[in-house]
Amino acid sequence: MSQSKQIRPPRIEGSEAIVKALENLDVDVIFGYPGGANLPIYDKLSGSKIKHILARHEQGAAHMADGYARVAKKPGVCMATSGPGATNLVTGLANAMLDSTPIVAITGQIARHLIGTDAFQEVDCINITMPVTKHNELIRHEKDLVPAIESAFYIANSGRKGPVLIDLPVDVLKASYPHEFQNEIRLPGYNPTIKGNVGQIKKALKALGRAERPIILIGGGVVLSKAVPEFLHFVRTTNIPVLRTMMGTGVIPVDDPLFAGMIGTHGNSRANKILTREADVIFTMGTRLGDRSFIKQPTFAKNSTVIHLDIDPAEIGKKIRADIPIVGDIKAVLTDMNQRIAKKPITKEKPWVSVSKRKSKLSTRDNAEILEGIFTKLSSIDMKLNISTDVGRHQMWANHFCTNPDHLPLLTSGGLGTMGFGMPAAIGAWFAEPDVPVVSISGDGSFMMNMQEFTVAVEHEIPLTVIIVNDYRLGMIRELQHSLYKNRYTVHDLGRTLDYKKLAEAMGGVGMCVTHENQILPAIQKSIDSRKPTLIDFNLENISKSSHLSWDTKAS
Amino acid sequence: MVEGLVHPSCSVFKTAMEKTEKEKRHIIAIEVEDIPGVLSRISTLFSRRGYNIDSLTVGNTHKPGVSRFTIVVRGDDTVLEQIRKQSQKLVHVLTTEYLKRDNAITREFAIVKLVYDKKTAIGINELVDLYGARMLSSTDEVLMVEFSGTEEKINLVFEDLKAFEVLESLRTGKIGMRVGR
Repeated sequence: MSQSKQIRPPRIEGSEAIVKALENLDVDVIFGYPGGANLPIYDKLSGSKIKHILARHEQGAAHMADGYARVAKKPGVCMATSGPGATNLVTGLANAMLDSTPIVAITGQIARHLIGTDAFQEVDCINITMPVTKHNELIRHEKDLVPAIESAFYIANSGRKGPVLIDLPVDVLKASYPHEFQNEIRLPGYNPTIKGNVGQIKKALKALGRAERPIILIGGGVVLSKAVPEFLHFVRTTNIPVLRTMMGTGVIPVDDPLFAGMIGTHGNSRANKILTREADVIFTMGTRLGDRSFIKQPTFAKNSTVIHLDIDPAEIGKKIRADIPIVGDIKAVLTDMNQRIAKKPITKEKPWVSVSKRKSKLSTRDNAEILEGIFTKLSSIDMKLNISTDVGRHQMWANHFCTNPDHLPLLTSGGLGTMGFGMPAAIGAWFAEPDVPVVSISGDGSFMMNMQEFTVAVEHEIPLTVIIVNDYRLGMIRELQHSLYKNRYTVHDLGRTLDYKKLAEAMGGVGMCVTHENQILPAIQKSIDSRKPTLIDFNLENISKSSHLSWDTKAS
Repeated sequence: MVEGLVHPSCSVFKTAMEKTEKEKRHIIAIEVEDIPGVLSRISTLFSRRGYNIDSLTVGNTHKPGVSRFTIVVRGDDTVLEQIRKQSQKLVHVLTTEYLKRDNAITREFAIVKLVYDKKTAIGINELVDLYGARMLSSTDEVLMVEFSGTEEKINLVFEDLKAFEVLESLRTGKIGMRVGR
């Protein structure tokens, strides 16, 4: 009698446990692609409230999860099968790793007894993805499934965010076992630092208070830690001017009197000069100061005091000397600082950098003015948009000229520079905020890297506008060959055979071709208003002929 | 900063000191959760970031489920700091610690198999006495001996062994522990 009264946890299949765990973690959408090894999950997913979006290539699924995570500000989930499915995720994982985007990747793996035998669709997923994930784990026992998924979400979305991969052998997914759902994450070796050291914070404020020419440099970390309000309060209270890296878009409006420009290889030379030569105290936060941010490492700010705030202790002292290191979450540290400066102000009378509302000076070659025109017009559209970019010349121009705060931050591949990121990221972003139309800015080269994903936008009737700045070539390659290889132009020609309008129509979407300057804004507006997946081919050559602007006819 | 407890007059020690500032050797002790694949995580991290490993040893500790690595790496102080921080970021890494010459004791271990006949017996016996070695087995004029001590001492052992016919030998990497609590 007493035995029968004992409460036994119900038996459950591994795949069902995974789906239930994902539901408990508030996952509403998964971007993925099925295969033999992950079909058990799909079988159980069909009865779930979680939506599954079938990408057309696993790389697309990973970028969608990335775009989703950036907008939803919670982990995006992507799924792939074993072998080629897993390897196709690698680029997307590396992209998320370098931009610190929280994504959870779930891969199928072949059955446990076959692991190591070069079985069909077997790859060593864990070792392949180890350097491109924050953490990964092969699950060997059913009982570990749910704790592993819960840990994956926690690791991905805490500390310095990043991708986490869970590799699930198909027989683990099929096995049934008695399971009790209870939240127990046991990670003794994982304790991200959130609160900053008080002594260091005081030291930093003292240095800023004494400074005559202080500057704040922000990177993507400010966006990731959701610290924009705290940040704006801090700079507006102290009157310290602000520089940003490419990833620090959308934190401070470009017309803000305190904004002094973007640094880096593709930034403003004035901004670079302020950072490296003029400032006496540099407060840098949420940036790893990558090699595209500044090049001359040994001479960097050698006469100034550097305060370096980052959630990842390994970033401090990695590239630049930090005089006052602060490890912690930017939001937590700035909240603390704001309380301190309320009591003991360090306010400057006025910003020491006289910020003339100068235009960013980029190259004037190769249709630069038209690129500027397209993005300036896009920015004039007065509504909330989520905008992604691809990688190349258009990305840099977009970074300078997409200035409407309602369109920012740009979803862009900063660290890895992944061509083909833009459109899938925009699709993912839409699933995070379905009320907001999405725009993907691509070059013709980048677009073709993942153009199959346009059919996903058609399938789900996504209000997606794809802007293709079409110069029939790889513009940034051409630019590099101009500046570094004595104008020896090779391999940048993409030919003139692809008809984007027809391509869009063939995939079930809307295609447009813009050939005249005065069509730019109407075309974008029409596409956004239609709320239909639309591909707009901005034919730079023809637009250039239509305008007073010069076209570099020496192009090969 | 050079590891080991050895008298500075020792020639091996001098060579170690003469290494350039940039190429110093450091010892780092890493405690990890003993989980399959953890060795791979550590070695992947080191190779991926271009840290040169001189030696790596790993084994269990008295704590259940906890293993300990002792890794000897080359690099300047910035590199060392990066190694520690990047290792600490691995989810299964529990603690990381530098072992320095003035705060730690380090040991290496070697087993040598050598020809042990009438001609060599006296010399080998002297060597065994000199280095406080232990004879492990002796069969058919073949002797197996165990040495332990600082890296420098083991270096000297191998120097002296050149006088004999060594059939097989091995050295563990360095292991070490901080002095005091």
